[in-house]
Amino acid sequence: MAHDSKSPLQHEVEMSQEKIDRYGKLNGDWDILHYDHDYCLARGFRGTLAHGMHNMAPAVDLALEKYGKDFYYGGRIEVRWTGPVCPGDVQRTTLDAAGNVHAQVGNTPGAGAVMVGKAVLRGKA
Amino acid sequence: MTRPAEVKIREGATPGTRFEEFEVGAQTPEARFTITPAIIDEYIRAVEGDEKLYAVDGRRAAPPDVLCVYMTSTLYQKYPPIQGMIMCEVAFNYHHPIWRDEDTEVRMSGVITEKVVKKGRQFVKWKGRYVRADGTLLAEVENTVAVPE
Repeated sequence: MAHDSKSPLQHEVEMSQEKIDRYGKLNGDWDILHYDHDYCLARGFRGTLAHGMHNMAPAVDLALEKYGKDFYYGGRIEVRWTGPVCPGDVQRTTLDAAGNVHAQVGNTPGAGAVMVGKAVLRGKA
Repeated sequence: MTRPAEVKIREGATPGTRFEEFEVGAQTPEARFTITPAIIDEYIRAVEGDEKLYAVDGRRAAPPDVLCVYMTSTLYQKYPPIQGMIMCEVAFNYHHPIWRDEDTEVRMSGVITEKVVKKGRQFVKWKGRYVRADGTLLAEVENTVAVPE
């Protein structure tokens, strides 16, 4: 059943290397950014990076909660990744009444917004 | 069942594609894969998805973003990935559920739409379509990646 409230929906999840590896095992990639901690530090990151699509998954869940089955037939989600989610980070994702998506890392100094975008029903945005 | 690795070339398996090799307008070869209930289960575990959300009129459905793990299958067939490539933006239009109680054969095709150099970074944009074997459009995707020098 679709969510009817004007209040933003929220989701929180902690990332770990185990979770990155689990997603990567299914995703079938060998992208060094997800697995090599030292390489990532050398490139200026705080650690390995979670897959961007993995970071988007909570936003899709929030969209399903907000729009219900209509999202399967007429949903649109668009996101831009603005920062990394690394092991140990807690990603907090919100979806507001207007369909704005925002995700940030809430517990790590120096980290901030990681994803912005929109999740809407096409033709009703 | 088709695991994404069976239809996607992995980083490091080939030299990878440099920015100048991407061609605007180039079609990417059709990728074919079968999404099974087992794959869907594994995806939900991987993203810690909320099971109660995945149903349409009482019928169990996959989270629509299960398509993400197959997204680059068509792109990489023509343009194998280079290490350090970064996902920048993505947009999905969902058109039809993938049911969790059956195998779904999917055909995916794509086209390169734009190449941009901005502030010293190289971006490639492309779009793709996921179509069920019976012709039902499942989803469309638009994706931007940053290609390292």
